[in-house]
Amino acid sequence: MSQDPSTYNGGSAVAMVGKDCVAIACDLRLGQQSLGVSNDFEKIFHYGHVFLALTGLATDVISVHENFRMKTNLYKMAEQREIEPESFANLISSSLYERRFGPWFVGPIVAGLNTKSGNPFICGFDYIGCIDFAKDFIVAGTASEQLFGMCESLYEPNLEPDDLFETISQALLSAVDRDALSGWGGVVYVITKDKVVKRYLKTRQD
Amino acid sequence: MEIALGIRVKDGVILATSKAFTRGISVLKATDDKTRMLNDYNVLAFTGESGDTTQFAEYIQANIQLYTMREGSELNSKAIASYIRHELAKSLRTRKPYQVNVMLAGLDKGEEPFLSMIDYMGTRVDLPYAAHGYAAFYTMSLLDRHYKPDMNVQDGMKLLDMCEAELAKRFPVEFKGLLVKVVDKKGIRNVRGDTKVDDPEQ
Amino acid sequence: MSGYDSALSIFSPDGHVFQVEYALEAVKRGTCAVGVKGKEIVVLACERRTTLKLQDPRITPSKINRIDKHVQLAFAGLNADARILIDKARIEAQSYKLTLEDPVTVEYLTRYVAGVQQRYTQSGGTRPFGISTLIAGFDARDTVPKLYQTEPSGIYSAWKANAIGRSSKTVREFLEKNFDRENELSDDETIKLAIKALLEVVQTGAKNIEISIMKPREMRFMTSDEIEKIVKEIEDEKAVEAEKKKPKRRD
Repeated sequence: MSQDPSTYNGGSAVAMVGKDCVAIACDLRLGQQSLGVSNDFEKIFHYGHVFLALTGLATDVISVHENFRMKTNLYKMAEQREIEPESFANLISSSLYERRFGPWFVGPIVAGLNTKSGNPFICGFDYIGCIDFAKDFIVAGTASEQLFGMCESLYEPNLEPDDLFETISQALLSAVDRDALSGWGGVVYVITKDKVVKRYLKTRQD
Repeated sequence: MEIALGIRVKDGVILATSKAFTRGISVLKATDDKTRMLNDYNVLAFTGESGDTTQFAEYIQANIQLYTMREGSELNSKAIASYIRHELAKSLRTRKPYQVNVMLAGLDKGEEPFLSMIDYMGTRVDLPYAAHGYAAFYTMSLLDRHYKPDMNVQDGMKLLDMCEAELAKRFPVEFKGLLVKVVDKKGIRNVRGDTKVDDPEQ
Repeated sequence: MSGYDSALSIFSPDGHVFQVEYALEAVKRGTCAVGVKGKEIVVLACERRTTLKLQDPRITPSKINRIDKHVQLAFAGLNADARILIDKARIEAQSYKLTLEDPVTVEYLTRYVAGVQQRYTQSGGTRPFGISTLIAGFDARDTVPKLYQTEPSGIYSAWKANAIGRSSKTVREFLEKNFDRENELSDDETIKLAIKALLEVVQTGAKNIEISIMKPREMRFMTSDEIEKIVKEIEDEKAVEAEKKKPKRRD
């Protein structure tokens, strides 16, 4: 019963860039190996206008989220403004690397719009904090390989919010259906300058 | 091979634990109580490494009661769950982590039924029904099929009976039956498999 | 700096530890607290400072504090010091129960509190606690009421009835005169005696008194209405008494 922390609970996430918008999505499953335990375990959190998806070991997903909630609250009090996606990405990077030799087993994805420039921003990380900047999409979790395939084939640049929603949803749905450890429902956030839309996805329940 | 089961219903929470205390291949006791009362409306059920379980549960119990004495008010279920998760997650990254899985049953703020499952790593999920360990493989299908959110304690007990019957039939180890506790508006009480009534003063 | 003066409590040439005596002075300036034992009851009664006009009365801390389900502690002296000592007592009560699976006895807790107070008179860089305490309650599975006192020096003692704080001498003398040592007091008599004793030094009456009554497995604060009623009773009795003492007019 050797267990790899990063695939013990299962779960996946993906983010995409559109025209003046970004989208971020995840599944809702939490399991213990092959056994499904919960179908409402959301993996996307937000700190002000910056969104963070956390896949990997569920206990660390919770711990890391609680930790960033504290850090961003302190940031807000010190700076008198919400943290921007670029700064938050660097905060994640240094926080994860701080635990280089006893890491949090998480695969984070950041998505958001910069308040000043309005530019979309997405990036991903490995579990020790190496940032993966991307112009198009980022994937993470146990269905990351399936997600790569779906994104490569469905993604096109400069999509409007509605089309971006369609694209990211289809990518997530098709990917998690081919992964036994992901699925059991999904959530999609589409983030534009003046609003954030959250939608739940129906998926196969097996 | 210990069993901890929980069912949250409309007007309360049902908590069941196996009564066998086992070491190696021997059953040493058939009337074991794998629960601790944290306060008037919250009970903790636990399974895992035998030394760690009671030590951890009683440590939690002491701290919850210390909070009550300091603040003059009871801690609610969500806060207790958060605290327990934090302790387990902290312990996970020490030289010798507590190997304890817990299930917290209670009435949140003395009103809303609450059930939380937390494993030894600190993975917390708040669920309508839950089981730790192998018991989950035998009971989850029954619970998935028959659970309704508007069930009352009586209905929940029937569902628990089905689970116990299934475990008795298919579970390969002797677990000496279930000790069943109910938390509702009236407080915490033993409903079955009672061996001794908890002294609330302890 | 020679390094020998890090402890503030050092002997004076005639054998006094002045800091401890100053601490007792702080106790004398604190509001009065009374404890009385009955047959199967123990009562703590405290003088309560009036809340200022703009103060929120809900968070004004009480001078009577629960240490565990079966023990309470009342103090006289510096409120800020008391908080620390109370917290230490509460932690000890829980930790004792955690290791021994039995609640602390009132005597053990008293000994612990007195021990902490003593330590602060002798170790470096600290000053003594400016408080005396009355610790009251019942041991587990027991119906015998317990009442103890501790002092800044670390002395502790057991009492049938006692008072600490401002004018404690007057109150103690009152208790000595009025406490029936032959017959044990009933619940009502105990409560009444405690209030009577406190009224010796609290002129403002019911609204500046707080009272906690403890019976085996039961512990509660009296409501201001309940206190008011007893205060009224006492005042009426006093009036009758005064009437009797008046020389009869000869017609």
